[in-house]
Amino acid sequence: MNSYKIMNKNSFIKTILVLLGVSLSLHALAHHVLGRPSYSLGEDSNTPPSMQVETQIGDYYVTYMAFPAFPKANEPGRVNLYASRIDNGQSFTGKVTFSVMDDSWFSSKIETIGSQMSDDSVFRQGFIISEDGNYIIRAEFESGGEPYIIDFPLRIGEPLPIGPLGVSVAIIFLILISVNVIQRRRLQRMKTGRHHAETE
Amino acid sequence: MHPGLSDNWVSVVLIFMLLIIAWSLVGKPVAYRPRHISLRKLPFIGQALHTMVTRPWVLLLFRFMFVAIFLLVIISGLFGTPIAERNLATTLTWTLWWTGLIIATYFLGSAWCAVCPWDVLATWLVRLRLWRRGSNINSFNLRVPKSIRNIWLASAMFIALTWLELGFGLTVSPYATAILSLVIVILAVLSQVIYERKAFCRYFCSVGRTIGFYASLSPLALRPVDQNICADCKTLECFKGTEDIEPCPTHLVIGRSQQNTFCTSCGACTQSCPYQNVNWAIRKSGAEAIYHVRPSWDESWFILILVALTSFHGITMLPVWEAWISQWAQMIGDSGQLLWSFSSGMFISLMVPIGMFAFIIKLIQFLLSDQELEFKRLFALFGMAFLPLAFAYHLAHNLNHLVRESRGITEVFLNPLGSGTLPLSHHEVHLRHMNPLISQDILFALQAGLMMFGFWFAIRILLQRMDSLAITHSAVNTVIKSGMLVLISGVSLFNLWLLIQPMVMRM
Repeated sequence: MNSYKIMNKNSFIKTILVLLGVSLSLHALAHHVLGRPSYSLGEDSNTPPSMQVETQIGDYYVTYMAFPAFPKANEPGRVNLYASRIDNGQSFTGKVTFSVMDDSWFSSKIETIGSQMSDDSVFRQGFIISEDGNYIIRAEFESGGEPYIIDFPLRIGEPLPIGPLGVSVAIIFLILISVNVIQRRRLQRMKTGRHHAETE
Repeated sequence: MHPGLSDNWVSVVLIFMLLIIAWSLVGKPVAYRPRHISLRKLPFIGQALHTMVTRPWVLLLFRFMFVAIFLLVIISGLFGTPIAERNLATTLTWTLWWTGLIIATYFLGSAWCAVCPWDVLATWLVRLRLWRRGSNINSFNLRVPKSIRNIWLASAMFIALTWLELGFGLTVSPYATAILSLVIVILAVLSQVIYERKAFCRYFCSVGRTIGFYASLSPLALRPVDQNICADCKTLECFKGTEDIEPCPTHLVIGRSQQNTFCTSCGACTQSCPYQNVNWAIRKSGAEAIYHVRPSWDESWFILILVALTSFHGITMLPVWEAWISQWAQMIGDSGQLLWSFSSGMFISLMVPIGMFAFIIKLIQFLLSDQELEFKRLFALFGMAFLPLAFAYHLAHNLNHLVRESRGITEVFLNPLGSGTLPLSHHEVHLRHMNPLISQDILFALQAGLMMFGFWFAIRILLQRMDSLAITHSAVNTVIKSGMLVLISGVSLFNLWLLIQPMVMRM
């Protein structure tokens, strides 16, 4: 019963799955998300969210947004979370705990940044992060005796200067140079072979 | 939400379909009279067009223009606003290009392939020339292995692109749109580096193959001005190229070819022909699809995938789609972005029409077990009849997007990165919705017309293919024809039903 809910004993694996799903789709939304309800507005900045994710977990639809559009180190940011039941659309009104962790390979540090009660059905959590990097914001709540854990990626600061454009150009040139070198060597070998054949 | 097709138009389409079905039961395929009018022979336009197709600089100019726009799309996608409706990458790619491309294919054949920035960039980088015959030093120029000399990879790419578009939300992510564009450039480069000529366009590119098949319905194609010159030609520059001009990138002898499915309109034949005998020609719309496209197993699969995925596009834009997928996710225990639920839904949508087609062919085989009709032969033969259905629905669906969602494109061109912009307000969404590019009545008339066009050509292809089977026994003919009619009508009715439904806006 309710096997789709995140249970205590296997919450880690399911969290990872949710995380993977969400990370794969930073801005990936169904193209039907058109309403701009209260949770899509940033109180601190008049910008669109840096990320907006809608996800379904257990009995809930969860909408998550991070503000401002480009979060920077040592500057205040905010995450807004809104959860409503799938069956009747009722908003979740309990308590949500937010924590942050470094999303790097060798880091397991996790820090709770606060617990929030519903404010007009929206859970608003402010944050200040001191270093640029990739982070995971975790939102936890309990409903119907089941724990819910939802992880969302968050980028602080500018991404690395060598972006996809640099990687693409590098890949293309690496391919072209490698083939060019191989072809030139082959032609050289053929030329030498022909020269030998002519002189013998 | 876009309103669906009105009841009056639905009635018109249904009556038309009934009449065509009645005609098809007694009718015979129309005798074919090959005829085309070369545009070269037209006064004024003919000379201008002749200059355009025989001089490389005209095409080069267009290529520069499209490459520049493509690079702007990438820059906008990578560095611009993440708001899809304010960023050039998403609006130009998905609202204007992807929807307009299908319309353009009907009127201009495969002309897009001639200026396609993926191939142009790859060619410039690998061949090291902007035009004329390039160097081979950056390519192994291998022959494409027989095992992949088909369009299975293009079919796989088409499925993958649809998954990314609808499941991953590519259409609302400028960044992902830019990344996809870059990845395809890399694939095109890789293909040219390994294989000779344009293997990517010929075998692997799903956009190119979609255009190729749809172009077989187009009234425009590259053809000899004088058929006799080509018939007597011994040197075949169009196929082999010259010292200056590349050979045909897809191995066509254009002067003797009746099927343009694999023509990329690259202009090599128009420039290399010593008699300047190749030019654009007007022909009967759909004649190539009806009479000339050779049945092929892999191509038939591609067409059926096209049918399934175009309808699937419509399904995902139904207002109830989200509720369906959510319920399905709860049933199978999926959470997060529901990618498993979406993928399985897409797989089912893909398999239903293909499975039904295969089932009807199996049924025909069973009923006519004494006739020794091969499954693969029938599958390959009749797959083509579904092409006009895919085309008609694809176009009708895309028209909706184009006329209702492309308002505001000028603003996006003026600010391609969307700097300092905010998401569309409710008011703007409403305004766009209420002010389509053309009136709703015209849009509905066009959509209904397209559905009738698709059905009419599907039946004509069916009758022609029946004729090519050369079955003399009338009962056998009736069984096969009825089976295929049921499926063609079923697909048409389903697509018509999709058009009746209100459609959710993309952005």
